[in-house]
Amino acid sequence: MKIAVLIKTALDTGQLRVRDTVVVEETPLKISDIDRNAVEEAVKLKGKDKAYGVTVLKWGPLQKKVQEAENVLREALAMGLDEAYLVADEKLLNASHIATAKAIAAVVKKVGADLVLAGEATVDNYTGQIPARVAAELGWPVITYARELKVEGGRVVARRDLEDHVEVVEAPLPAVVSVTREINQPRIPTLLAIRAAMKKPINRLTLADLGISVEPKISAAYKPLVIQRKKIVIKDGTPEEKAEKLIQYLRQEGVI
Amino acid sequence: MKTLVVFPNKELLYAASTLGGEVAALVFSQKEAEAVSGKAHKILVAEVDPRLPDAAAEAVAKAAAGYDLVLMPSTKNAKTVGGLAAQKLGVELLVDVLSMRAEGGVLTAERYVFGNKAVATVQVSLPAVVTVAPGRFQGEPPAVQSAVEKLALAPTSRLKIVAVEEKSRGAVRLEEAEIIVSVGRGFKKKEDLQMAFELAKVLGGQVGCSRPIAADLKWLPEEHWVGLSGKKVKPKLYLAIGISGQPQHIAGILDSRIIAAINNDPSAPIFQNADYGVVEDLYKIVPILINKISKLKGG
Repeated sequence: MKIAVLIKTALDTGQLRVRDTVVVEETPLKISDIDRNAVEEAVKLKGKDKAYGVTVLKWGPLQKKVQEAENVLREALAMGLDEAYLVADEKLLNASHIATAKAIAAVVKKVGADLVLAGEATVDNYTGQIPARVAAELGWPVITYARELKVEGGRVVARRDLEDHVEVVEAPLPAVVSVTREINQPRIPTLLAIRAAMKKPINRLTLADLGISVEPKISAAYKPLVIQRKKIVIKDGTPEEKAEKLIQYLRQEGVI
Repeated sequence: MKTLVVFPNKELLYAASTLGGEVAALVFSQKEAEAVSGKAHKILVAEVDPRLPDAAAEAVAKAAAGYDLVLMPSTKNAKTVGGLAAQKLGVELLVDVLSMRAEGGVLTAERYVFGNKAVATVQVSLPAVVTVAPGRFQGEPPAVQSAVEKLALAPTSRLKIVAVEEKSRGAVRLEEAEIIVSVGRGFKKKEDLQMAFELAKVLGGQVGCSRPIAADLKWLPEEHWVGLSGKKVKPKLYLAIGISGQPQHIAGILDSRIIAAINNDPSAPIFQNADYGVVEDLYKIVPILINKISKLKGG
């Protein structure tokens, strides 16, 4: 079974560069954490066929971030993917999800995958809409928030983890499935695997290569969220005195 | 302005009314239609199973014709339906929106991004689909005359729901809790969590936890899990005990009024995100707190 895994080269939110606004251009990229679970699941399911990483670069500047994105993709290749596709185009460096889904769907068709796997959401924007959009674009069924997945007899069966209940859902292949962190424990690649990944192909594509055009009608500005906490730390005294002090503060605040 | 509310509830209908103009509701049964009667100008009834995202999205895409905005709740299923419908319609989808206004064919909305460390102000041409973050639009939708209409469609779904397993839900409703005592890896054994439950009891609060306690150690069911992929909470007091304060955890507690933390490691990041921090061994201080607070409440 050929599998395409969606990998977001996400902003590393632990290393946000911040002035008056968030300086996206200077913030490093990393693999969106939950995508590691999607990669792990693909490596387990692919059998003798190939598993492809598919990335659409969303953060600029293009030249600088393409290099970073390739490094991120090497990580996924080291985990066991066979090949990666990186769609890098100025027209995709924006907040449009329609455009992203179109580009991804085009790559999925190009590689001829039977199954698309993705993380439930990406760590930077956390919208979780791309798997559904890609499914709509391809005309395939989608199962989101899967915490368990089986493929048998041309069908996928998943346990879909929703707020108050878990649904056991079945769909015919080809299909799109988004997974949660609970689905598996992503492997840590060996040194040997990391070296081997250096030789695996990363194919770079533009929108023109895919024969699609997009006209985004969306823009976004990012302001750092400044929540001033009081940061009063009680360090001195006996446990008894510290407890007394804490209670005093909380009573002053009127919360107990 | 014409707004279509899908999976309508009081909050969404109120949010739609703040934008002005016509409000319609899309529901999936006659019973739901009755529940929103008098709260939307038009009620569209589509007889499909809304648990099947592809069938529900088909209904949404059909009902959305002629509307400027489609509003939905920020549930996992609604986001899936929203993604499918938005791509079918060729429009953008904004999720977990905190505030919004529409002007001259453009919607301006705010949402948290980057692990809740930043606020994005997004501008998008209408039509668009939006899911609204819970608790942001509090008010009564105005009373109006409702016209009920059936949405004719032959629903098709390639999904089959084989089984539904209810999650064990105790009395835990962290989203609504006023006081949360939350536990992390500082607790050495599952049995020791009893202390936190006792403290929560004397405070009249509920018990939350960080990811490792629910997801890795499984000492508490997931309904206690606070954080980016757990519950997002907004109590007046969040007391984090033995929690180091990973960014994903902090992202779930941003809306707390007061955050207090107990940790024996003075360099724990939680102290940078707390109003009041106590550097102390939780095993020493928690019993004292239980004792003192129960006296306080009793007297």
